[in-house]
Amino acid sequence: MSLTPLDDEFKGKFDPRVWRKLLQYLNGYRWAVARLALGGVTIAAVEAYLPIINGRMIDRAVTDGSLGALGPLIALYVVLFAAFAACVFVFIKAAGELATGVGFELRRDSFAKLQDLSFSFFDTRPVGWLTSRLTSDCGRVANILPWAILDVFWGALLLTSVTIAMFVIDWRLALWTCAIIPLLAAASVVFQRIMLHSSRQSRRTNSAMTASFNEALLGVRTTKALVREESNLAEFERLSSEMRRWMLKNAVQGSIYLPLVMTIGAVGAAIALARGGSDVLAGHGLSVGKLITFMQFAVLFQHPIQELAQRFADIMNASSAAERVTSLLATEPAIKDAADPAGAAARIREVRFEHVTFAYKPGVPVLHDFNLTVRDGETIALVGATGGGKSTIVSLTARFYEPTEGRILLDGVDYRERSLHWLQSNLGVIQQVPHLFSGTVRDNIRYGKLDATDSEIEAAARQVNAHDMIGTLENGYGFQVGECGDKLSTGQRQLVALARAVLRDPQVFIMDEATSSVDTATERLIQAGIEAVLRDRIAFVIAHRLSTIRRASLIVVIDGGRIVEQGSHKQLIAKRGRYFELYTHQYAAEREAALFETGA
Amino acid sequence: MPNATATIWDLTKGHRLRYGTALGSLVAAVALGYLVPLVPQAVLDGVLVDGGTRASAFTRRMIDAMGGTEFLQTRLWIPGLVMVAIAAVTGICTHVRTRLAASASEAVAKGLRDRLYDHIQRLPCPTLDKRESGDLLQRCTSDVETVRAFFASQVVEIGRALLMLIVPIPFIILLDWRMAIASVAIVPIIIGFSLVFFRRMRPLFLAKEAAEGKMTSTITENLTGIRVVRAFARQEFEKSKFASTSGAFRDEDMRLFRLFATFWATSDLLCFLQQIIVVATGLWLLTQGSLLVGEYFYCITAVTMFIWPVRMMGRILADLGKALVAIERAREILDTPDEHVGEPTEPASVMAHAKNLGGAEIVFQNVVFGFSKLEGTPPVLNGVSFRVPAGATLGLVGPSGAGKSTVAQLLLRLYDYTSGSITVDGRELRTIPRREIRGMIGTVMQQPFLYSKTLRENILISAAGHLNDEDAMCSAASIASVHESIEEFPQRYETQIGERGITLSGGQRQRVAIARSLVQDPRILLLDDALSAVDTHTESQILAGFHSREARHTTIIVAHRLSTLRHADIIVVLDRGRVIQQGTHDTLIAVPGMYRALWEIQTNLDDLDEPVAIGSVS
Repeated sequence: MSLTPLDDEFKGKFDPRVWRKLLQYLNGYRWAVARLALGGVTIAAVEAYLPIINGRMIDRAVTDGSLGALGPLIALYVVLFAAFAACVFVFIKAAGELATGVGFELRRDSFAKLQDLSFSFFDTRPVGWLTSRLTSDCGRVANILPWAILDVFWGALLLTSVTIAMFVIDWRLALWTCAIIPLLAAASVVFQRIMLHSSRQSRRTNSAMTASFNEALLGVRTTKALVREESNLAEFERLSSEMRRWMLKNAVQGSIYLPLVMTIGAVGAAIALARGGSDVLAGHGLSVGKLITFMQFAVLFQHPIQELAQRFADIMNASSAAERVTSLLATEPAIKDAADPAGAAARIREVRFEHVTFAYKPGVPVLHDFNLTVRDGETIALVGATGGGKSTIVSLTARFYEPTEGRILLDGVDYRERSLHWLQSNLGVIQQVPHLFSGTVRDNIRYGKLDATDSEIEAAARQVNAHDMIGTLENGYGFQVGECGDKLSTGQRQLVALARAVLRDPQVFIMDEATSSVDTATERLIQAGIEAVLRDRIAFVIAHRLSTIRRASLIVVIDGGRIVEQGSHKQLIAKRGRYFELYTHQYAAEREAALFETGA
Repeated sequence: MPNATATIWDLTKGHRLRYGTALGSLVAAVALGYLVPLVPQAVLDGVLVDGGTRASAFTRRMIDAMGGTEFLQTRLWIPGLVMVAIAAVTGICTHVRTRLAASASEAVAKGLRDRLYDHIQRLPCPTLDKRESGDLLQRCTSDVETVRAFFASQVVEIGRALLMLIVPIPFIILLDWRMAIASVAIVPIIIGFSLVFFRRMRPLFLAKEAAEGKMTSTITENLTGIRVVRAFARQEFEKSKFASTSGAFRDEDMRLFRLFATFWATSDLLCFLQQIIVVATGLWLLTQGSLLVGEYFYCITAVTMFIWPVRMMGRILADLGKALVAIERAREILDTPDEHVGEPTEPASVMAHAKNLGGAEIVFQNVVFGFSKLEGTPPVLNGVSFRVPAGATLGLVGPSGAGKSTVAQLLLRLYDYTSGSITVDGRELRTIPRREIRGMIGTVMQQPFLYSKTLRENILISAAGHLNDEDAMCSAASIASVHESIEEFPQRYETQIGERGITLSGGQRQRVAIARSLVQDPRILLLDDALSAVDTHTESQILAGFHSREARHTTIIVAHRLSTLRHADIIVVLDRGRVIQQGTHDTLIAVPGMYRALWEIQTNLDDLDEPVAIGSVS
């Protein structure tokens, strides 16, 4: 059963530990954090001070009656606004540095982690899923940090300074006006919580809907053949209705929340007007200007509360992203070097499997008590039905996985005691569907030896008879192979991959159906070229082609995770056992293919 | 884009009343919103300052409506209540506006999604071949989201920003016309500035998206090629490669941030300038005695209310361009004709699952078909003729690219033949509605597609509404030799397959698909290399099962192994779009030719030496 990594998207609970780990990334950005804090504080101060100036200006204009007396106040007004705009500039830049910088570092560390994690990690996680961890998750987390910092400073300061200012002006009126704070806070908390739920539900439905669209496109021929269009649509409509329901719910919740907060703000202003107005009339010393200041404060209150509630919801929403990023960063690779790896031998002269048992899933072994010794100069052909365990042997040899039981010895030393990097530096693996990287053919061959000269690259290509094929491409070695090499046919990719491996000059070659997609004539040429390379090396070959298998020094027939036969081609044919059966079957297929190739 | 306007109008069909009401409530909410600060203005000028003696006629009327100056002097809670009441009604209008706009836009989005889903299912195969599925997927998902946001918020936001700007002007004029001019003095500059800015921002957005795309493909390539990376121990190289694309993305993103910093700071300055103009003008008039405190208060409050939405207008207008493109892109799919145009529209259940009248007779006469209409491309089928009597079994053999699968696709009317004639029970195929002919045919492809549902739902998929038909399901699964494998799964037939469930092997998928087509009880059974991943022993079991049902359907088997076809009534050997041999197994084996050559290879396994000189065959 494969695990369902897609579900955890919506489970995120707020876990302060997760965010604390992420806060460590701020260490390198103290200056940006300081500017953000400074920006938040300054803006709050300006915002809190403006109503006070407004009030003063009114009082002075009413009592004094001359514009000249207002000059300094207007100048202060201008200065405050200029400071505000300057702060906006500073904190957006600081936020940018923080968001892009932390994003970059999170991606860098996650990527580095992925380079170390073992294959068992990748088996259960689709590439697309992992990719979005590095793109959208890291981006979301990094983007939330600066704004959260800014808002916390801004909101906290604005709330406290407004409150203090109100109490300084008139503590009784302040008490009355502050009565709305708990209301605002309660409304914000309650609504953000329920809106979080509906927004998560709609996101969940949205991804189900995308999957459904995807399935409709992938299975369009089957749908047509089964005349399933209407039933599919009916099923899809259920999803799209649910989507509409949740989106609408979320919008309606929002459409209650905002007017509610604004009405509460009006209640505050109304209290200030009614109580303060009586004070003005009674001549308690409250001026008209101060009354206006109070009313503006009452309205000002709602902004930080609203904003902080919104920010908290954002953080909740990003919690699952944060959790996924931190848990990726915290994952320990299942395969690691021993603390003190044995000295790297100059070459590998012997690979020995000792009682190796291996299971991808506990209790379901795919390889049982496997024993085999290979010395340099030997080529081992692994044959057998699909799923018999051939590729597992290859993966174990490359230490993509380690044996569940038993051990693999390299020159007599368990390879777990050696360095992983050393082993993999001495390997040449060529897969059936070789992976190429986007770039030129030359870049791809150079992957085998990063400092190779162009002539070395060409020599490697000639060795495996890829040179002529490359010559037919536009720009030859400069041909852009496209994403994952998709501009080349599988056969062409196999040739490039072979050249890459040969340039690598490894001690151990592993060829997993490496030439299955090149035509018979080319394959013979490749064989001739490779034979020279393999002369004093160890090679594991999985192949269906007879010509490839027959050249091996030892043929090992594997079935159900065990060796059922081994020997030379002649011995095995004479035995008339499993190999004979496979061989004759394959023989027919090959001759048939040849028949079609020449045409009737 | 007049086209887009028509599309927008078309999309709102059925929701126009709701949408119109939403826009109406928007007007009401904005107007009422500006009434709220009028209350403290009236109280200030009409009650608090100088005993209300200097109040304007407009203010007087408001005060009188609330009970007069003297009455209010001891009852200031009344205007307070009025203020809260107006705020509450404003809130209700805002709520109604958001709710109706959301309900209309969600309905538009749902309608669009459903139509797109329906339509892409019905697009003809030649059209689908030309399109990239990623592009189609994007149009159906993120483009629809853009359209939804357009209706839910952009239209409303633009309307709101405009109204916010226009509505207070008459109020301010009522109070003081000079203040009205001062209030909007540099608003056009603010709008113009932000519009120009967001227009110029676009290339930067695109550059950032391109950089992100590059970075994403570095990750994808690294992850898909992780075996190569490890096998070559190139982790460090990969890290530095990623650092450069990820760094490039960071730099593009930072460039945007820097520009945003400039933009917001500048536009904030402009907004403040506007406010200062109002404040200075107001104070000057105040000292002149020609403006009252309350009026001044109202003007500065109104300016703060409309200046911030106005600032956003440039951004919204820039986004509008994106929405129009998205609408066009969705429209383009819907405008592509579907393949059922002109065909009967009865529910599929009526036509598709018509009663099985026994196998159908199939005749191909001189059929020509080519996927590509380009000159010089040879047709895939080039004059193919054969006849399969009702209930008989046809075997199709030939190298890959010979046109075997094309025969199956033509029968299903996934593609229509260029010339010649295909008849099913004497009816010309072209005249049979697609859903009818498809309902008659059970198809199993080499790599069959199964839905992400349970095994039960997959097998019984054509028996809609009969998911409890245990007998049909188990017997079909038994004939397809997959019943026992399914019973071994912990959840048996309830096992979920696909992305969120288990992955079946190729052979298991083929057998499930065979069971699925047997449940369908089709008049024609098409097996397009459908047993390729099934071993010989199981294959003969399945074929024996078919044999027992023979009269119920005409069978067409495309196969590679001749043993599969041995018992076929007619065998057609195809090569490069032509029939090169035709007959039964016995007649074909009696004469020299491709078939006999194949048969000899597949049966005569004694000669184990070097491959024979191939040129001598045929």
